[in-house]
Amino acid sequence: MEPLSEASYRALYLLVSGDSALWAIIWISFSVSLRAVLFAAPFALLTAFALAYLKFPGRRLVIALFNTALSIPAVVVGLTLYLLLSRAGPLGDWRLLFTQDAMIIGQFVLCFPILVAMGHSALQASDRRIWETALTLGADPWRAMLTVVHEARFGLIAALVAGFGRIIAEVGSSMMVGGNILNVTRNIPTAIALETSRGSFAQGIALGVVLLLLALTLNLTLTGIQGRGDIRP
Amino acid sequence: MTPWLNIQNLGFSRDKRKILESISMDIHPGDLTLLTGHNGSGKTTLLRIMAGLLKPDSGRFSLEGKTQPNWHRSRSLLRRNVCYLHQRPYLFDGSVSDNISYGLRCQKLDMRQIEARVMDALVNASLEHLSGRNSRELSGGEQQRVAIVRAQVLNPRLMLLDEPLANMDKQSRRQCLSMINQLHRKQVSVILTSHEPQQGELDITRHLHLYQGILSQKEPPQI
Repeated sequence: MEPLSEASYRALYLLVSGDSALWAIIWISFSVSLRAVLFAAPFALLTAFALAYLKFPGRRLVIALFNTALSIPAVVVGLTLYLLLSRAGPLGDWRLLFTQDAMIIGQFVLCFPILVAMGHSALQASDRRIWETALTLGADPWRAMLTVVHEARFGLIAALVAGFGRIIAEVGSSMMVGGNILNVTRNIPTAIALETSRGSFAQGIALGVVLLLLALTLNLTLTGIQGRGDIRP
Repeated sequence: MTPWLNIQNLGFSRDKRKILESISMDIHPGDLTLLTGHNGSGKTTLLRIMAGLLKPDSGRFSLEGKTQPNWHRSRSLLRRNVCYLHQRPYLFDGSVSDNISYGLRCQKLDMRQIEARVMDALVNASLEHLSGRNSRELSGGEQQRVAIVRAQVLNPRLMLLDEPLANMDKQSRRQCLSMINQLHRKQVSVILTSHEPQQGELDITRHLHLYQGILSQKEPPQI
């Protein structure tokens, strides 16, 4: 096992020298998580809107279920998907196991409840007059919905940022359904887990720094967004 | 003369409590109706139903003499012809021009036509100096006036103003009253609510009063 100071120095060197293996891992992480959150966003937004603006039997139960799903462990999602996607599983014919698509599905499942729960809170808190004003000015329900979304955009962007933050750092699902294959499905969290188990800390530290910088950036973005959202008199 | 809008036996209940009971009324072009009633008497509920925002439990709507077969059809006609302004109107995030052009953009008019109509409306209301200002920077009185212009630019047949003069300073109130009188002169029907009859300079043509969900007519006061 290399000393911490030496590992940190090598980690810094890997980052600034543009080490191709390291940057490939970072690229895979961002690409997979971004696609997952972008696929989930429209469906989550529609669900959040329906929960905030429509009255239907079982609405409260659905909200409670989404809130419960916020704390679902990533490894449970990974295990369930593994069983579904493995050759012997019901979706085995899709041949998705150990691909980026499988990772995207896993991350989709993980971020969907966050997007719905936070999106629902943002839309629920938005002023009801927006919807009524839009309708009375001649908007159809679809356009009125887009107007509400526009007015609540700061809260909704915060939901996207939080969802992205959750999935880019998750290891359980990606490890199980992605398989941690170099240059294919190895992302930042799975690479950190692997390098640590091998006692090679430099790459792990470098990737950890990237995650920490990402967390800082996301938090600053969130703070900025929340600051812009509360200027209504 | 056939009224533009006729409402027959409108009823509405909430949580088994009757809010409106057998409301019937006619609206003629250019009517300026004052609707009074104490807080919670159902004024806002009535306006929201007339704007097609709330479904009544019962009642029939006739527009230009044609009785509408169901609420779905009535609602679509009401939303096309009626504009409702909340007590504290909501202005969308964006400039005053963006707000005023909203309804015109919904009608998918061409941009040059929209710009011309927006500018025209702003000049008529002496609000052209606010055109580029963000709606969130406006005072309460300015917001109310911009909201009236935003509705007026769509040429509605009926404008429903929920307590438009509440919490206004003298100057804003005077400007608002003048805009409402102008609507009346342009043959737009207006119904405005107030929880009490007030003195002022509106050309009220009819005074209706809501008490325990029942509508009655009173002598027109000056507001």
